[in-house]
Amino acid sequence: MTRTRAASPRGFVTIGRAVAIPVARVSVVVAVVTVVLIVATAVATLSLGRLGIPVADLPGALTGGADGKQAFVLERLRGPRLVVAVGTGAALGLSGALFQTVTRNPLGSPDVIGLAAGAGAGAAVVALFLPGVLPVPAGALAGGAAAMALVYLSTGTGFRNPGRLIVAGIGVFSIATAFTQYVVYAVERDKAAVLTAYINGSLAARSWSHAVTIWVVLLVVVPLVALIAGRLRIGEMGDELAGVLGAGPRSTRAWAVTLSIVLSAGAVSVAGPVAFIALTAPQIAKRITGRPGPHLTLAALVGALLLALADLAAQQSPVPVNLPVGIYTLAVGGLYLGYLLTREWRKGSL
Amino acid sequence: MAIGTPPRPSEAGAKRAGLARRSSFLLLGLVVLGLAVLASIAFGSHPTSLSEVVAVLNGTADSDITTVVESRYPRTALGLLAGLCLAVAGTLMQGVTRNPLADPGLLGITAGASAGIVTATAFLGATGQWAAVWWALAGALVAGVVVHVIGAVGSGSGLVRLVLAGAVVSAVLGAYVQAVALSKPQVFDSYRYWVVGALGGRDVGVLMSVLPAAAAGLVLAVLLSSGLNTLALGDESASALGANPALTRSGGLLAAVLLSTAATAAVGPIAFVGLAVPHMVRALVGIDFRVQIVFSAVIGPALLLLADVVGRLVLRPQELMVGVVTAFIGAPALLLAVRRMKGTS
Repeated sequence: MTRTRAASPRGFVTIGRAVAIPVARVSVVVAVVTVVLIVATAVATLSLGRLGIPVADLPGALTGGADGKQAFVLERLRGPRLVVAVGTGAALGLSGALFQTVTRNPLGSPDVIGLAAGAGAGAAVVALFLPGVLPVPAGALAGGAAAMALVYLSTGTGFRNPGRLIVAGIGVFSIATAFTQYVVYAVERDKAAVLTAYINGSLAARSWSHAVTIWVVLLVVVPLVALIAGRLRIGEMGDELAGVLGAGPRSTRAWAVTLSIVLSAGAVSVAGPVAFIALTAPQIAKRITGRPGPHLTLAALVGALLLALADLAAQQSPVPVNLPVGIYTLAVGGLYLGYLLTREWRKGSL
Repeated sequence: MAIGTPPRPSEAGAKRAGLARRSSFLLLGLVVLGLAVLASIAFGSHPTSLSEVVAVLNGTADSDITTVVESRYPRTALGLLAGLCLAVAGTLMQGVTRNPLADPGLLGITAGASAGIVTATAFLGATGQWAAVWWALAGALVAGVVVHVIGAVGSGSGLVRLVLAGAVVSAVLGAYVQAVALSKPQVFDSYRYWVVGALGGRDVGVLMSVLPAAAAGLVLAVLLSSGLNTLALGDESASALGANPALTRSGGLLAAVLLSTAATAAVGPIAFVGLAVPHMVRALVGIDFRVQIVFSAVIGPALLLLADVVGRLVLRPQELMVGVVTAFIGAPALLLAVRRMKGTS
């Protein structure tokens, strides 16, 4: 994995004389390409299919010159959904990158310590036992929060100790999953199918209020992540060295885990527990650049691209049943990560 | 990051004290297992008194009671086998991949078995438990092999690739399973029952059809256990001691695949046993694989059978599936145990 080139060309982005941020050229190139791909996916999302706005009309429509049908598609149907998809994907990618860096576990994301499973259980409780009392997403958020609170309290050291975090997370994850599976088994089939679809994560019928929610979460959390990013990078060198360099590994970890959870919870509140993006995006970022390091920005961009692509597939797929986007994220993210792994394998680079 | 896996030097005196400790733990474990087997035969959703059960075991009971009690034999045997398989497989996987999150689902086994069953019921018109078992076996084995091919077990960093390959295969197959289940109501109906994991409603034929895979996996695990110990010293030391790390690792994972395939095909995916029992065992007896495997083989079945008994009693006359009960009993225990974990990372 550490294909760091000897004497890799490193540039610095300087802001005045006080700040010099080291930036690897390959990461910049990959980031730019990813952004271009996100834009291309966005154009495709808006213009494909029966209701699509033709590409030629798109600039006009975006600058306010849309007629009735196009305005409806842009402002009600696909626009908010796209903005939610990009924001949610970015939040999940960043969340996974933070979590994996801190726990040094390639399977790490708040989902493995039970966030998504708790959200699923919360959704199940609200949808089946308290219908009409609370909206289902509120139940999911409450379930996720309860799961995280349980993990926090069980470890005895909060989020500071990754080993305890993960073992406590296994416990919470197992209870929540078993509960949800039992509910899905025990209720009528139609209700069970609706619940299963929700638990997979869905972007159908998202409004601008969802878009505002996830982007506000990003706007609040991203600056905080930027504050600890440098210390995270030092943390990659190991606790002792990080301690010597004054990076306070334990509090950095606790912060990173907390921010990671907030990001994932934001994603859950707008899209339900979308699977697999938090797990794959950081790994894909790492494998495209072939460099070590947290890859926070890139993971966020890759996450945004993955979810936007998966949602494009969900909207345009020829399958008669409307499958939730979470199924496509599993398929798209899984196939792409699999491709990257086999490519590395053929090159014999490991 | 690996919990409890780094080797610690032990002195002779400490070793002897450890042996006594382990022996008493093992004895205790066997007693609990024996009680669990008895409980599994004695208790059920149809109430039977202890004297009736004893009469059945002596062959002096009337035929009604005998039928009731004898119907509990297959699920007891299945519980023994599945608990053993899952716990030993989990121990092997967590040890070999050095990932405390490793469980039998990790290498795509659960997803493969699910995909096999869903495919068979959706497209091939398969019905009944027999067909399901065979398709689950086939699906799980294929998934396990694909994960190995993508993960290409080799150097130390290859383990990360293996874990990721497992996640990839699980994800793609999971998407397939969910897509089929959500578009075909009949498939969804049988799938949502199977995915919880249950011991009831299966006959001896199911046990017999997974027995070869289970036996092969267990034999392989026992043969490799001392090799796996040297592996814990790190690849270089292991090579210096004459072990072949890559081969041992592949063997250990193959054993884990066989064991978890057998269990999953027989009783469905029961997540918690394979994940948690290895943590419990390491906390009890340390990291020697030979000891770990023995303890897993005792604690795993005991836990699963007790959970199944509880599941039969709490909702009488209905039953709660064992997959739900293991999580609801085991997980709180795990949460209480977390605070006692050593190490800072």
